[in-house]
Amino acid sequence: MKKIIIIAKKEFLDLLRDKRTLVRMILIPLLVFPIIINLVTMVQSSAAEKEAAKKVNVGYVLNGQSSEMIESLAMIPNYNFYEFADSNALKKELLNDSVTVGLHYSSTFDQEYTDGKTPDLSLFYEGVNQEDLGKVKFLLQIQDSIYTDKRMRSIEQEYGFIEPFTIVKRDIGDDNELIAKYAGGMLPYFFLAFCFMGCMIPAIDMFAGEKERGTIETLLTTPVKRLQIVIGKMVVITTFGLLSASLALLGLYFSLNFMGMEGDFMDTIKGMLSPGLIGTLYILLVPLAIFFAGIMIPVSVYSRSFKEAQSILTPLNILVVLPAIFGFLPGVELDYTTAFIPILNVVLACKSLIGGHADMVLIAITFFSLIMLAGLSVWVSIKQFGKEGNVLR
Amino acid sequence: MIKVENLTKEFKLSKKQQKENNSSESVYTAVNGISFQCEKGRIFSLLGPNGAGKTTTLRMISTIVKPTSGSIIVDGVDVVSHPQDARAKIGFLTGSTGLYERLTPNEVLKYFADLNDMDKATFEKRRDYYYDLLDMHDFKSKKIGQMSTGMKQKVSITRTMIHDPNVVVFDEPTSGLDVITAENIIKLIRDCKNEGKTVIFSSHIMSEVDLLCDDLAIINKGKLLYSGSMQDFRDNMQTETLTGEFIRIVNEN
Repeated sequence: MKKIIIIAKKEFLDLLRDKRTLVRMILIPLLVFPIIINLVTMVQSSAAEKEAAKKVNVGYVLNGQSSEMIESLAMIPNYNFYEFADSNALKKELLNDSVTVGLHYSSTFDQEYTDGKTPDLSLFYEGVNQEDLGKVKFLLQIQDSIYTDKRMRSIEQEYGFIEPFTIVKRDIGDDNELIAKYAGGMLPYFFLAFCFMGCMIPAIDMFAGEKERGTIETLLTTPVKRLQIVIGKMVVITTFGLLSASLALLGLYFSLNFMGMEGDFMDTIKGMLSPGLIGTLYILLVPLAIFFAGIMIPVSVYSRSFKEAQSILTPLNILVVLPAIFGFLPGVELDYTTAFIPILNVVLACKSLIGGHADMVLIAITFFSLIMLAGLSVWVSIKQFGKEGNVLR
Repeated sequence: MIKVENLTKEFKLSKKQQKENNSSESVYTAVNGISFQCEKGRIFSLLGPNGAGKTTTLRMISTIVKPTSGSIIVDGVDVVSHPQDARAKIGFLTGSTGLYERLTPNEVLKYFADLNDMDKATFEKRRDYYYDLLDMHDFKSKKIGQMSTGMKQKVSITRTMIHDPNVVVFDEPTSGLDVITAENIIKLIRDCKNEGKTVIFSSHIMSEVDLLCDDLAIINKGKLLYSGSMQDFRDNMQTETLTGEFIRIVNEN
């Protein structure tokens, strides 16, 4: 145990003096969430401001009818109304984009309305201006209600007379369940990805890096067992993986609580981050980080140089991404099969916790299956490090 | 003392390696049944051309690789059955030895002292002895990556000797070094002899061997071609120079 601690202490000191390590494993995880959240908030608020300030230019042809409706609409802010003599002039300006939506009254609009008929009010637009069209349609729906109400009053009936029933939507589902279904896999995935990246640089540096720098032979001639060397280094790799994930979590916590950002996006993330979720995530992340280290060490031991190890390990990111992506899909749940698939099981366990329907038996199976895998990967790492052909390659 | 008997090391070759070597053999014999003995207080040189098996032999003595067959006894300890005990008695230095560039000499030496189970007082005493001897005080707290080759070599020497090993193994220790830096190594080898340690070093530079060694063995293609004292070697030379004699023995066998 003493030798393992000596090796781990030296590796910590060595890695913490490496700028590459500090940037990739400490700075990036710490800053990534504040930067992403800042960007999302900035884009959201700037889009909302733009939308609020945007004017909609509407053209109309009265065709000899009353301007009562147009006068009422023109009182609404951010809408400009321009009168045209006929539909050709209106269409021409629509194509020139000086107006984006056009209203054209039929020549008998007022008379037909008074007679209780249904006159035409044509809406001219170009397909690309869907947003403005939607806004004008919304205004016309209000006018439709006003005109209906007026007509009903003229025959001494209430508005409700022509509405036989009203559909009232009442969502009795838990908001968290909805969040979990569509976004519950995302948050744990970020931490898994940082954990993986956090493990990678130390794993490469401590084996392939030592081979490349010519320090491995010296270490092998000291009275330390190969097993102690691997375990000492593995402790450091796992710790850095967990440290990266923790710093990402810390950055997220800081963004949510101290950067004064509000909105649905923030509320959604805050809703996910319960102490239970974080606790479970860590319990599952520890064996998973050991498993990551156990995958990386044999590759690093085999590689001749830092670059070679990096070129093999970087594509392995897909191994983390793919199972996690399956976990994002609505309908994929933690069950007696998925609980045995590493990475996917962690994502699904977190998803079930966010959704509030976690099955503790399945989470326990997830944990023990990860422990087994971690143990297996440690064994493979020790075996590979013991092979002369790998170490002296 | 180092006692090597019938030492053999075979490496399995992959299909790719067989192709590269233009050979159908699935096994490559790097060292083939060699025997020799290095005495305490004497310098033993392992001489041979590139690829002769010198490094593999020294790696087996230093427990980095395991022999396929044969035995090695280092200072009374069987390195195959008790590698840990043997390592505690060995100091190992090669010309290509690297150091942890982000650490300082103080940190590197402390690391290796701890791995060798040294107590604090003994460690500090030996460390300060080498700092004085090699004039290292000015750069003992400087990061190794910022040092010159000469300074690094001094750190390597101290690292090798910090636990006061009885047996010191040097694998082409001066390879790639300038004359002044190489001189530090030559001096270290002589000091080891004077302190009564067993020294084995490999080289293909005959002048270095002539300068230092008491006993020598010549190997080529894994086989032992000559083993004896330097004096006997000189006395029985069939050519005019030591280099010429070395070449003759290698070519004739």
